[in-house]
Amino acid sequence: MASEERTSEILDKLRQAVYDFEEDDAVKWAKTALEEGVDPFVATLEGLATGMIEAGEAYNRKEYFVPELLMCADALYAGLDVLKPAIDASGRTAEVKGSIVLGVVEGDVHDIGKNLVKMMFEVAGWTVYDLGKDVPLDKFVEEQLRTDSDVVGLSALMTTSMLAMPEVIKRIRAKNPKVRILLGGAPINPEIADKYGADGYAKTAGTAVDEAINLLKMLKEEEGRK
Amino acid sequence: MNKKATMTNRERIEAILAHKKPDRVPIWPFAYGGFATVYTGTSISDAYNKPKVAYEAQKKTCLDFDWVFTPWIGYAAYGGWEFGGEIKWPSGEYAQAPTVARLPVETVDDVWKLKAPEVATAGIIPIVTEFMEIAAKEQLDNEPFKFMCACMGPFNTAGMIAGPDMLCKWVIKKPDAAHRLIRLATDHMKDLADYWADKFGLESSLAFTGEAIATGQLISAKQFEQFVLPYFQEAHQYILDRGYKHIYCHQCGEQNANLEHWAKIPYGNPGIISIGHEVELETAGKYFPNDVILGNLEPAIIQSSTPDKVYEATRKNIQDGMAKCPGGYVFSPGCELPPMASVENVKAMGQAVEDYGWY
Repeated sequence: MASEERTSEILDKLRQAVYDFEEDDAVKWAKTALEEGVDPFVATLEGLATGMIEAGEAYNRKEYFVPELLMCADALYAGLDVLKPAIDASGRTAEVKGSIVLGVVEGDVHDIGKNLVKMMFEVAGWTVYDLGKDVPLDKFVEEQLRTDSDVVGLSALMTTSMLAMPEVIKRIRAKNPKVRILLGGAPINPEIADKYGADGYAKTAGTAVDEAINLLKMLKEEEGRK
Repeated sequence: MNKKATMTNRERIEAILAHKKPDRVPIWPFAYGGFATVYTGTSISDAYNKPKVAYEAQKKTCLDFDWVFTPWIGYAAYGGWEFGGEIKWPSGEYAQAPTVARLPVETVDDVWKLKAPEVATAGIIPIVTEFMEIAAKEQLDNEPFKFMCACMGPFNTAGMIAGPDMLCKWVIKKPDAAHRLIRLATDHMKDLADYWADKFGLESSLAFTGEAIATGQLISAKQFEQFVLPYFQEAHQYILDRGYKHIYCHQCGEQNANLEHWAKIPYGNPGIISIGHEVELETAGKYFPNDVILGNLEPAIIQSSTPDKVYEATRKNIQDGMAKCPGGYVFSPGCELPPMASVENVKAMGQAVEDYGWY
């Protein structure tokens, strides 16, 4: 069992490995964490995920861009691959902050932004149901109902594919009026999101999680008033 | 022609390229893709794979709306098919353009094995060639050039060969592989410039280049400086040395942090700089004081707003452009005119130019 000081050092190395997008270091320190008895949950949340959150903050400050974030993600997932068997074996489950169905709408294959959003939700402790790209409209409705997710996130990069968004929103609302819907993608802005009937808009992957959390808070407040 | 008009659309562009004022701001929209074919009653995919239909659609649309006409076929995913992968034509209700269905490169090893394609048979080039053969047969009063010669962009083409996400990773993890891909794409740009010049001459040809991936939404200005700037400088210099007088360069998306680099690239005298709505016209005018600025109404507004709002946004755009672009200004959407934009909204753009665009 690692001492408190040693645990702190290992967590910092894991955090730094992700932030510096050093995939080999992330694997090395994840193995060290297991070898020295650091709780794999703690290693994930306070090490790897913390590094990714800091990378997201650097992205919001325009110090990191997509290449750096993608590399950080590779380091994160490399470390997770080492830790996950131990997490699964422990039988413990992490506290889930929320759940989201994510996808790029039908007609659109541009998924870099959606993939970054997915990663930011995962490190923030959300369960993500990723439908991928070029997703048929009804698939969003079915997946939300199947998973009873709190939020549905829709992404589009093209002006033609963005036209699928109001149709998806209409179909989701018809089945489940309570679900919160978040839009993102280059041609979307707050005014268009509002016009389409969405609840929120995320300008970047870095702001998507905060926006989703706000949506859930608003939902709970609305329910509290009823 | 309007009663006030003393110039045709062709003469307007010719005047601006001669550093003179036209009678009125010309409208030269990015309407080569699906808008023209949808407007004329065919499908979006026809804009890319049926040369005769695409040409007639562009011609009719430009005449109906009183636009500048520079026939062109091209697509942002250029490179994937041309370098050996596969393409998917747009189909269904929501697809806008061809996409890469299978990448020609998946690993770093693939990069080193990859060879530049033979231009004449590469991907969409035979289709474009047929289109340009049709276009070469006439030059209308709204055509300052018989066609635009697609030379594309180095980083964009490289991104479509390996996938934008993989190219982004290689920029950091395998810079040699990234440079190798961009080198191949740059050499291909030169090959394209040669191919079009040899086949169609230079008398009435406008070179087209563009970047949709090398934007501030994806890469940093420093990465742009290392992986984009030198290749564009080299390719543009080659195109100009080859004898093209002007280059139309579409700088897509968020480019504010890259403008100092874009400004170091030669475009001809003058160049034609097409900017997205993310860059203010005044800013573009400062960075390119001797070039024609073409832009930059937000496409989503044209599609999703009302005619009144489109009219107002166009009014502001043309008043800014006329006052703040010393090298000349042409009105255009900031990127492709949305194929599904309503005719009413598109007419509102034209009405605003008609009401406020006279010099």
